Amino acid sequence: MSNPFSYVFSCIFVLLAHGAMLFNVFSNGNYDDVNSVVVLASVVIGLDLVYFTIMPFFRQQTYAVDFMLILILNMGLIFQSCFGGVDFQLKHFITVIAALISCRIGYLVCRDHRWIEDKKKYIWICIGILMGIILLFTGSRSMWISLGESTSIQPSEFMKPLLVLACATSITEQQKKHKFLCFNIVYENIIPFGIIGAICLFQWWCRDLGSIPTFGAIYVSGFLLRICYPKGKFSKKPIIIAVASLAVLAVIAVMLAPPYVKEERLFVDIWANKYTTGHQQCQALIAIADGGWFGKGPGHGFLHTVFAYQSDIVFSSISEEWGLLCAVMSVFVLLMMVAIPLVNPPRSYYHGSMCAGIAAAFSVQMALNVFGSCNMIPFTGVTLPFISMGGSSMVVSGLMAGMLVAAQSPVFKAPKRKKNEKKPQPVQPVQMQNIPQAPPPVQPQQEIPPQPPINYTLTDRRK
Amino acid sequence: MDAEKLIMCAISAAALDLCALVLMITSYREKSSGKKRWKKISADMELADRDRGYPLECDEILIGRHENADIRIHDMSVSRYHAILNVADGKWTITDIGSKSGVYVNGIHVEQKRLRENDVIGIGDRRLIFRKRRDRR
Repeated sequence: MSNPFSYVFSCIFVLLAHGAMLFNVFSNGNYDDVNSVVVLASVVIGLDLVYFTIMPFFRQQTYAVDFMLILILNMGLIFQSCFGGVDFQLKHFITVIAALISCRIGYLVCRDHRWIEDKKKYIWICIGILMGIILLFTGSRSMWISLGESTSIQPSEFMKPLLVLACATSITEQQKKHKFLCFNIVYENIIPFGIIGAICLFQWWCRDLGSIPTFGAIYVSGFLLRICYPKGKFSKKPIIIAVASLAVLAVIAVMLAPPYVKEERLFVDIWANKYTTGHQQCQALIAIADGGWFGKGPGHGFLHTVFAYQSDIVFSSISEEWGLLCAVMSVFVLLMMVAIPLVNPPRSYYHGSMCAGIAAAFSVQMALNVFGSCNMIPFTGVTLPFISMGGSSMVVSGLMAGMLVAAQSPVFKAPKRKKNEKKPQPVQPVQMQNIPQAPPPVQPQQEIPPQPPINYTLTDRRK
Repeated sequence: MDAEKLIMCAISAAALDLCALVLMITSYREKSSGKKRWKKISADMELADRDRGYPLECDEILIGRHENADIRIHDMSVSRYHAILNVADGKWTITDIGSKSGVYVNGIHVEQKRLRENDVIGIGDRRLIFRKRRDRR
């Protein structure tokens, strides 16, 4: 951040927001021992201070995303520690630390696009390895790998940032056409399409259909940027075909959905089935209504008795205890975080494409969680990024936030030349004389002769 | 809920609102410093014809006749996708991306060339000067 005062100013306001929330917990919270509030407050404020101290060592150009990240992560920690009674959640705190570390990793890996574009084959290989892990190590048609009694990881979550990178790193390679039979094929277009197809199949195999819209949104954002990319042949036809194909695919997917999806998710009347398949959503809606604008107070809710109150219906849990205003604000902070690239636009196609993919993933995930809790769309069981409890989701969200940070503080370094790669030599002037279109040599200092006006259009794609 | 508790809930929500607003304003103010940083990265260069300059606002600038080119030249001697300008370490490079009439820098036909200030770039029948950006009224 160029101005140290604005850095300190932002730090103070983040501390103020967390301080106000903690004071609310202290004065309104449901706790037996005040020490539980003191522990929570010291951890939250301590984490803030440590993060604010460490951040300047990374010498970023801007810290806006980092401030929003720490704001929302500690908000999540306070929310999670208050559900059903104030008690510091150590497990969630560890996942918050893991998210912050993965954010730094994401930043360091993704800031130099020329470096990562050279390594795109490894990204494809990583996706393949993850698919192999899902096939070999998850249980029978499950999405989880159990690492103990209370610990398990969801490998399919890690495919989200890899898919974003696969789409972003191949966007500038659309000129390289390869002849295959009688077709001109661009491998960089075929491979992301193959990857998304394979991911959708795997998600179906793992019965994790709720994540398919998130993966779809990442691919669609990458696809739209790809066909709008100057070197691609832009026309309305591909967009119309893409939208029509999506609509047809959605209809086919609904028609061919397995019976358990149709009966328990898509066409469920929650009030008629309020003790069976519609139980979670009924309770979630009651809790939102019960909380009102300002909530019942931290720890005073009843939703903690319902399954997945910390993850799938976390929006309702927050609404009940903290109020709808606070729940909407937490979603708003997340939206602001993904909207920062609009304020400070990235300067390369790679970073722009990466930001679009991440924004699409977070927005869709958030919409599925919030609208699913409110019974406006079928309930999918997707987590709310940075707030829901869940190690894999938190680490992946942190990694994607790091990619946003990288897009805000990019590095434009020259690619390293390989040993056997020769420098491009200029063509000799003797050869040039044979070319009829060649303009006459002009000295750098020479006045340019008057030319007819050129009709230029500078299209700024970043807007 | 009594009035005191209600006020506390409202204050915590208001503090969140205020913090979000401050962070948004801070990031908006960063926009101007972001432009300054880009000036440093891009060495504040522009492509100019006789009386107009075209700032180089992205790390990859496409020059051509195609409607989606960054710098679009309506001239049949210019290919649809003619040349591309890249910046790295504050240095700009021009690369011919398979144009028919070629790219010339100071009259010499090149495939790829690092540009220096006041280089004259020949694209088709057109000539552009690569120079420091000038402020215009």
